[in-house]
Amino acid sequence: MTSNTIKFIFENKIHKILNPDPNETILNYIRLRLKKTGTKEGCAEGGCGACTVVIGELKKNNIVYKAINSCIAFTPSLEGKQLLVVEDLMLKNGSLHPVQSAMVNYHGSQCGFCTPGFVMSLFSMYKNNTSYDEKTIEESISGNLCRCTGYRPIIDAAKNLNNNKSDQFKKNKKKTISLLKKIRPESIFINSKNKKYFAPRTVNELKKIIKKYPNLDFLSGGTDMSLIVTKQKKDIKNIIYLNSIDELNYIKENGKYIEVGATTPLRKFELFIKKYYSDFNIILKRYGSVQIRNVATMAGNIATASPIGDSLPLLLSLDASIVIESFNKKTTLKLKDFFIGYRKTKLKKGQFISSIRIPVYKKNIFKAYKISKRIDDDISSVCASFNLAIVNKKIKNIKIAYGGMASIPKRAIYCEKILLNSNLSEDIILKAQRSLEKDFQPINDMRASKNYRMEIAKNLLMKCFIEIKKNRLIRLNY
Amino acid sequence: MKNFFFINEKRIHDSARKHVSGLADYTDDINEPNGTLHGAVGWSKEAHALIQKIDLSKVWKSEGVITVITASDIPGRNDVGPVFDGDPIFPVKKVEFYGQPLFAVAATSTDLARKAVLKAKIIYKTLKPVVTIKEALKKKTFVLKSKKIQRGNPTNAILKSKNYLKGNFTTGSQEHFYLEGQVAFAIPKEDKDLLIYSSTQHPSETQQIIAKMLNQKSNSITVLVRRIGGGFGGKETNFLTSSICALLASKVNKPVKLRLDRDDDIIITGKRHDFYSEYQVGFNDVGVIKGLKIKLASRCGMSPDLSGAINERALLHIDNAYYLANVQVQNYLCKTNTVSSTAFRGFGGNQGMMVIENIIDNISKYLEKDPAEVRKNNFYQKNNKNITHYGMKIEDNVIQEIFNKLIKKSNYKKRYSKIKKFNLNNKYLKKGIAITPVKFGISFTTIHLNQAGALVHIYTDGSVYLNHGGIEMGQGTNTKIAQLVANDLGLPFEKIKISSTNTSKVPNTSASAASSTTDLNGAAALNAVSKIKENLEKFIKKKYNIKNIKNVVYKKGLIKFNKKSFKFKSVIKEAYLNRISLSSSGFYSTPKINFNKKTFSGRPFLYFCYGASVTEVTIDTLTGENIIDRVDILQDAGKAINPALELGQIEGGFVQGQGWLTMEEVNWKSNGQITTISPSTYKIPAVSDIPKKFNVEIFKQGKNKENVVNKSKTTGEPPLMLAMSVFYAIKDAIASVGKYKTIPILDAPATPEKILMSLNELKNRINYGS
Repeated sequence: MTSNTIKFIFENKIHKILNPDPNETILNYIRLRLKKTGTKEGCAEGGCGACTVVIGELKKNNIVYKAINSCIAFTPSLEGKQLLVVEDLMLKNGSLHPVQSAMVNYHGSQCGFCTPGFVMSLFSMYKNNTSYDEKTIEESISGNLCRCTGYRPIIDAAKNLNNNKSDQFKKNKKKTISLLKKIRPESIFINSKNKKYFAPRTVNELKKIIKKYPNLDFLSGGTDMSLIVTKQKKDIKNIIYLNSIDELNYIKENGKYIEVGATTPLRKFELFIKKYYSDFNIILKRYGSVQIRNVATMAGNIATASPIGDSLPLLLSLDASIVIESFNKKTTLKLKDFFIGYRKTKLKKGQFISSIRIPVYKKNIFKAYKISKRIDDDISSVCASFNLAIVNKKIKNIKIAYGGMASIPKRAIYCEKILLNSNLSEDIILKAQRSLEKDFQPINDMRASKNYRMEIAKNLLMKCFIEIKKNRLIRLNY
Repeated sequence: MKNFFFINEKRIHDSARKHVSGLADYTDDINEPNGTLHGAVGWSKEAHALIQKIDLSKVWKSEGVITVITASDIPGRNDVGPVFDGDPIFPVKKVEFYGQPLFAVAATSTDLARKAVLKAKIIYKTLKPVVTIKEALKKKTFVLKSKKIQRGNPTNAILKSKNYLKGNFTTGSQEHFYLEGQVAFAIPKEDKDLLIYSSTQHPSETQQIIAKMLNQKSNSITVLVRRIGGGFGGKETNFLTSSICALLASKVNKPVKLRLDRDDDIIITGKRHDFYSEYQVGFNDVGVIKGLKIKLASRCGMSPDLSGAINERALLHIDNAYYLANVQVQNYLCKTNTVSSTAFRGFGGNQGMMVIENIIDNISKYLEKDPAEVRKNNFYQKNNKNITHYGMKIEDNVIQEIFNKLIKKSNYKKRYSKIKKFNLNNKYLKKGIAITPVKFGISFTTIHLNQAGALVHIYTDGSVYLNHGGIEMGQGTNTKIAQLVANDLGLPFEKIKISSTNTSKVPNTSASAASSTTDLNGAAALNAVSKIKENLEKFIKKKYNIKNIKNVVYKKGLIKFNKKSFKFKSVIKEAYLNRISLSSSGFYSTPKINFNKKTFSGRPFLYFCYGASVTEVTIDTLTGENIIDRVDILQDAGKAINPALELGQIEGGFVQGQGWLTMEEVNWKSNGQITTISPSTYKIPAVSDIPKKFNVEIFKQGKNKENVVNKSKTTGEPPLMLAMSVFYAIKDAIASVGKYKTIPILDAPATPEKILMSLNELKNRINYGS
């Protein structure tokens, strides 16, 4: 059964959109159709957080709240969910939600334009945590830009949030859950204004669709692809949306490798990976923002094949594989063989990535570094990742990969060769540093010059080995 | 101001509750009448080119398009330049920057309008663009004449000095990145009148420029601004958006809204001037500057805009807090094929101050002395060495007090030696510390702008409606002015309502700029109140036969004439019944100031704001990354009206300055195309960038010597310059790599890349030298 009607909960009622334009953003829907103007457009590319709204999802008889950028999410992705906007937080009698009161009392707003976004980010933090330390607070608002306050009063507001959990959403929880159960998401097929949109709910359905329509564009979190609409002002005519497929939202581990389903949000993965590769977690915390990572997936990051996709060098150095499926075939491919050119991959029409397999190296050292102008939500100048073992003082099993150094994220093959089976002497490191010039010919752009890129690529290699030698981290404490 | 009672109340921003609940309306949130159209601007893809043909046939045919306008649709003045011409709305023959508007459309939706403008076909004949300051200096292209100012005999003084240094220095441009982009909404009324809602810091000039463009009288244009989502100078003279919007609305006689996409906003509108300077300085063994010569060049972009005033303010702040006995500065206002550089918090002052701070910092490093001491040795004094290089006597100097207090409070000296030890023991991570002062002059240096108006009504129920010429852009001016008026009338704050700034209520206003919005408009509001009070008092005295009373007290809803006291509310009602006017306009013009731009002398400022900051940073010498470990600030706010709002200005200004000096980098290609056009490519500070420890205090002894409302001092622009200490702390950390014996070369912004390159250059110089 497929439906062409998007159903979601808004203002405690079931709200339906019949055959929506699949390229209409949630932000435009809220502002132009629902006529709620509290949610703002600051950049239309998910980079400032002014458009932040919160999505409620039913998970095991509970509601999980996620902050997202409504400016780069399309309306059909609301299917089966609850939409909360800033206007929903104030009670009818005019009393403010604890998050709002804290923002008012601690002078968290000046011009006020970014404020609704901050309120919604803090609201999702408030709903998902029982206590908030400075790290949680900073992470929660790292995707929200404010040009007036300098953030200190907003942090203070968050620290002083009244932490008794009885807000109206808690009181209404049972009712909301029963409403969400009533609109259990269905498979969606929209055919509107010469645009097609499919949102299958199972892999089986997905395969049937791609068999019939092999030329569809796959949409996952959409945090990159939606910019075709919002920035290039072009249509995406035929979309197949993957993130409704729950059976691809999983993380498993079998002793040899970790398998991550294609629709697993990065936010879920970053928590899981911490105990295996703590640097992977650290890098992902600086990947976009909470709003982005709540919807973005690693499969999306891989398929986009951006040279500066931050999970890619890490996966490459871990020698990850991807599972590629079509309607009748399933193959695995090493990630290192997947990228063939700038934003080009071996993925053919009608194929999709169904999962990623990350080997578990029990005795290896894994390190990753990201260098960018800004700590939060910035694109790397260079991202470097090192995976190696030291056996009898010799370097073994070494895999090094860099992002931002070539038209694709790439392994440093020459460099690896020099280091393999060597000891950790300074001479070898210097030689390995020089060999990076053979591996990479970086470019100049607005983020960094080619010289700087090469220089830090070399220095990060050095840093990695100094850290190994000294057995401690040499890092700034963000 | 007898019996003065200072307001000192940490009141929340009067829109705070609306901000947090999404109920505060910005221009794009205003309800649209049926049939409202939406605009989009088509702009040049060349930085310097002759326009050979603009083919808009496909634009006209694009879905939803109702009209398209070009230069030929402008009935009047095709220019939005505020002081000088040079900023055509749509150029006719030649484009002068990448992003210059060429035409605009109105369509049934914003999406359709934006899609339509992409369909234009424009044929250019490309000319070679001048993009950088150095190119402009070489080709001698300038927007305005250069100015040379001099005191004493610097050449001689430098020759006679024991020590000598020379060098050059650059500070970067900066995008305003107000969160609410440029937006206007024009609604045609009867008689060709237009009602314009605009996100502007300058409604009066918006009104005049649109009137001239349409060849209509100013009285046919009304501009309304309830609040704007940040301005920072970027909405002071950007009249393109509102003019184009008004032209579209006027042409089709329908309401039109024009909201620029963020990328378009960054591409089309002006930014901060970047500055390049060369200096020669002579100084003695304790670092006192004896003679100084500076060449100061800025990238002004393709037109004068406000560049004259901005570069003038740079000259006026080349001293910061230091007495310069012999000084010469020659400036160059470079014309480039980039968007016209414009006002930005600090307005040239900060750029001038960075030049002298860099020189002082280099002197300290040269002499291997604590820069704090060298700075102190150069400070203006109270009774001598107190005349600026433009001849103004400094009468309110508190920089020594603030500096010394902050050194103590921040434990500067102990940390200074601790950091040196840390650096000896750490090879890769290095720490740095710096303390910098701020002295910033308050008033528009264009004297006639120092005026303001207000309009106050008291209704028969005793509630007060107040209009003034200032714009609420987040700084809380409405809150502060309402506090002033409430206090003056002895009424609770809630009785005062301040709403939209409206050119039909208060005319001929100046921009909300130069940090002076509350100073000027607050005084005008109090002037209006005083006139109403005079009416009331005259009436009461006559009616109740009260004599010989000078000081009438307004407090807690009462009006007290010595022993007799009346309820405010009843007096108002009675006054109304007795036909007494309960409404008045108010006016204020700043006293004492004068400035002769030709001789570059006089008293351009009513007063100075002072402050200082100490910053400690750690840098990673392998990558150039850095973090701010701790910042201590002491800022003079006079008798602050609302310390909570002032604190917000101080912290926010600091972080904005930190962005300017560390991470915000505007990038142009050699063909003049700007490449940093969105939050993904242009980075303003986010939450993790702010100081890990952030101790901000208002100078408790502060009090404005001049007759400014509440004896307060503004906190609009000055806190931005507090961030200078971040830059010099980074430079200090770099210097540690050369054991503090070699002066690092570092330009702003100190991005990780610049820091690493500076470290490399320093190491090379040391190796080469030895």
